[in-house]
Parts: sequence; structure tokens; C-alpha cells
Amino acid sequence: MSDDALDLFEDAEALEPESDPSEPVAETVEAPAEPGPKVWSVSQVNRAVRGLLESSVEPLWVGGEVGSWTRSRAGHCYFTLKDDRAQLRSVMFAREAQRLPSDPDEGMRVRAYGDLTLYEARGDYQLVVRKLEAEGKEGLWRKAFEELRSRLEAEGLLAPDRKRPLPRYPDCIGVVTSPTGAALHDIRSVLARRAPWVRVVVAGARVQGDGASREVARAIERLAATGLPDVMIVGRGGGSVEDLWAFNEEPVARAIAACPVPVVSAVGHEVDVTISDLVADRRAPTPSAAAEAVVPDAAELLGHLRRTPERLGRALRRTAARPGVEVRERLSRLVRSVERRLAPARQTLDLHAVRLEQRIRRLTAERRARVSGVSGRLDALSPLSTLSRGYAVARTAEGRVLRSVDDFPPGLRFQLRVHDGTVDAEVRGSDELAGGGASAPSDS
Amino acid sequence: MTQDPNDGLTLEARLARLEEILARMESEDVALEEALKLFEEGVVHVREAEKVLSETELRVEELLASGETRDMEPDS
Repeated sequence: MSDDALDLFEDAEALEPESDPSEPVAETVEAPAEPGPKVWSVSQVNRAVRGLLESSVEPLWVGGEVGSWTRSRAGHCYFTLKDDRAQLRSVMFAREAQRLPSDPDEGMRVRAYGDLTLYEARGDYQLVVRKLEAEGKEGLWRKAFEELRSRLEAEGLLAPDRKRPLPRYPDCIGVVTSPTGAALHDIRSVLARRAPWVRVVVAGARVQGDGASREVARAIERLAATGLPDVMIVGRGGGSVEDLWAFNEEPVARAIAACPVPVVSAVGHEVDVTISDLVADRRAPTPSAAAEAVVPDAAELLGHLRRTPERLGRALRRTAARPGVEVRERLSRLVRSVERRLAPARQTLDLHAVRLEQRIRRLTAERRARVSGVSGRLDALSPLSTLSRGYAVARTAEGRVLRSVDDFPPGLRFQLRVHDGTVDAEVRGSDELAGGGASAPSDS
Repeated sequence: MTQDPNDGLTLEARLARLEEILARMESEDVALEEALKLFEEGVVHVREAEKVLSETELRVEELLASGETRDMEPDS
């Protein structure tokens, strides 16, 4: 059928009978007193039959097989409905035909809902189809799904090696879904529970209805353009095949494939697999599951963090214990470094750091026990926390620790070891505490 | 050395750095001085990361047509 014919057909649809309405069929036939019968024009006849047809037959469902399906450039679809004995010309105009997920195959069993009319230009009567469904569940949807899937597969967009790993600790999660849907609610509550430190950026989109696929695709692109998300969740809650259809259409599939960060697709409930699930880097059965997939669990992460200082300390100890460096040297360097570096931060160190510090002190103590003849300098250094609390150790230039008043004869020059260095000092006098020592009290 | 040379790092960066530090410290060829430095840095990261984990609240923003974001209403 040519496009010209199509246009005529559409014009014909809009035509109203223009003949004299006061000239009913019955009277015409009976017309008396005229020589010869009343002659109708073809147009008049067709118009009249069309009127009869349209006024007397309610819209109806017709079941049959599809034959000679053609789709014009304008998007109108022409076909016949057949059974083994008869056929019925049918047309589905572009406005309705664009809602078809796919064109039916020749011979496919379908049912069509529409009105009977007459195409006056040809005198053909036909069914103007408003709805067309393949027999069998999801027939045309399934077909469209398979068609797009094979196309994307041929382009390599479904290949397993295209799947990117999700970031382990994302800082920002992009979400593309309906801003008012249950999916967003579910995603938010899971993220708030598991990973409250993340930033969530939502790009809202209509997720069903005409144009939803393009809207979702656009939202993915807009979100990607911000450069904010480390990973994206694209999806919606469950619904009928028709409700989920946007996620089976090409725009969404292409946008996911082109997304610069990994995408987790979460459409509907467990059973619904969509094209976007196949193209995405990860498929989640539900929006909640998608949220769980993109972030680590805070409790787990905390546990991991709490074990980390221990691991650090263990590694440090192993390094210190490695053969090759003279033990005492190793110990003194360790002690000095830890002291110098940790002392200023000590007050702010939290529990973990304190534990670490304790490990280091224990480490130094263990080392010390194994070294005979440790110098006085080292002795003075070892009670690190005592020194940093304001205590000092006095010792002679040779390193002997001065413990008692008796060790401090007047005029003796000695050194005070404080937590961050030594101070030169000289004894000007001494005063033994009463009962503080074994020697006799002095009254100086 | 300042107390936190890595202030303002993201959680992800801190955790990644911690992994690096652990790997380096647990390797065979690390020198003691270096191990001490790494240890100290590691402690800072642990502390900061834990602060982030325990103190923050989920931030939800909406992407506007302008490309800017605005805070979304708290979820009911």
C-alpha cells in the first residue's frame, strides 16, 4: 500500500457525510414519478455503508493470526487478521502503534481491539485497531526484549568482561529513580543504616509511561556529568511488565553502558530481569539489595578499623625484631622515635592509639629484658609515659642512674633526662625526707 | 611532623591509604624508621576514619536541572 493511499485513508476517516440528510435510503429506493431508477454515486454508497457500520457495531475484540504486516514511514501499521477461512483488513495508526513494544511476526496469534469502519476510497471495510496483544503471556514484550538483547549482545555490551567492580568505599552514591517512589525510600533507609557517612545524590525521573526510558537515560547522563558519584543505582520498585518497560528500552540500556562509573541496576522484584539488569555492572534483585551492594556495612568496617592498629603494631614489632641491626641500637632508636613522634599527639590519641602505644611499650620492655647490660641512658628512656607526665631521671655523665640523696654530693654535675631531652644540672644542696630513706635524717 | 598531614581526605582515600600502609609495613624490606612513620600515619587514619564512621549522618541531595544539588527532605 502506498503512502498516498494511507493519507487518503486518514482523510476519509475525518469525512462527514455531505449528502442531503433528508434523503434517506428507503425513500430513494421508492422514489416515484421519475423516469428510470435513482442512481447513487459510489461515494454516496460507501459513505452510507460506513455510517451503518460505525453506528451499529460496538468496539470489539477480534482474535486471529497476523498476516502481511507492514509499517509505513509515518508509523501506521497495516495488516490482516486471518483464520483458516477468512480475513479482515486491519490498521493501527501511529499513535497507537508506537505503544507496541514490538511488531508482531507473521502468523503470530493475536487479539485486537477496535472499531469496524469502511475505507471509502477503496470500499474495503476494516478494523481500526486501538490495542493489539499477542496471545500467550507477554508475547510482544518478550519479543521486544529478545530483539534488543540480541542487538546489544552483538555489540558486546553484555559481555562479562565489561562489568566493572564496584568501589569498596564509595563517598558518593548516585541514585536514578522516581523521587517519590518506594525505591528511593528503601535505598535511603539501607544507606542510613549501613553507611551513614556517604553522600547521596538523587536524579529524579519518571520511571514508567511514555518517554520514561529517555527520562531515566537523561537522568543517568546528568548525574554522571556532575562527576560526583562513585557508583550509581538505577531502578524502581516492582510492577507489571508494562510498568517496568522503560528499563527494557534502548535509551536506558545505552545510558547505563556509557556511564563512566559502575551502575547497579535494581528493577522490580527478584523475578523480573530487565535489559538494564543485563547491561549494568551489577544486578540487584531489589532497590534495597542495590543499596546493600554499593556500601560496606558500617559495623563491619568499624571492626576492620579496630583490628588495624593491632596489625600495624604487629608489623612494627616484626620489623624491630628483624635480625641485622644491633639489638640495643634498634631498641634505643625505636624508643626515641616513638617518644618523639607520639608524645605531642598523645593527649588526642583515642583508645586504639593508646592500645597501640601500649603494644610498643611492651615491645620495648620485652626487648629490654633480653638485652644484658643496657645502658643507663636506655633505662632512663624506657618509662616513657612516666617521663612525659613530668618526671625526670637523674644520671651521671657516665649514665649511672642517681636514685638516692646519697647519690648527690654537693657540687656533683649530672644530667636530668626528661621526656624530650636532657638538662645539665649541678647539686647545690640536698634534703632527705624524714623516714624517706635508711640514712640518718639531716637538718641542713 | 604535624598531627594530621592528611586532613580532609575522604574515607575512601583513608582506607585505601591504610591498606597501603599495612601492605608496606608487613613487607620484608621496610626500614624501622619508615615503619615508625607509617605506623604513626596509620594511627591517624584509623582515628579519623572512625570519627567519620561514627559521627556522620546520611546526606541526601537532589540533582537540579541546573546541575546543582540541594538537600532533600528527610525521609519519612
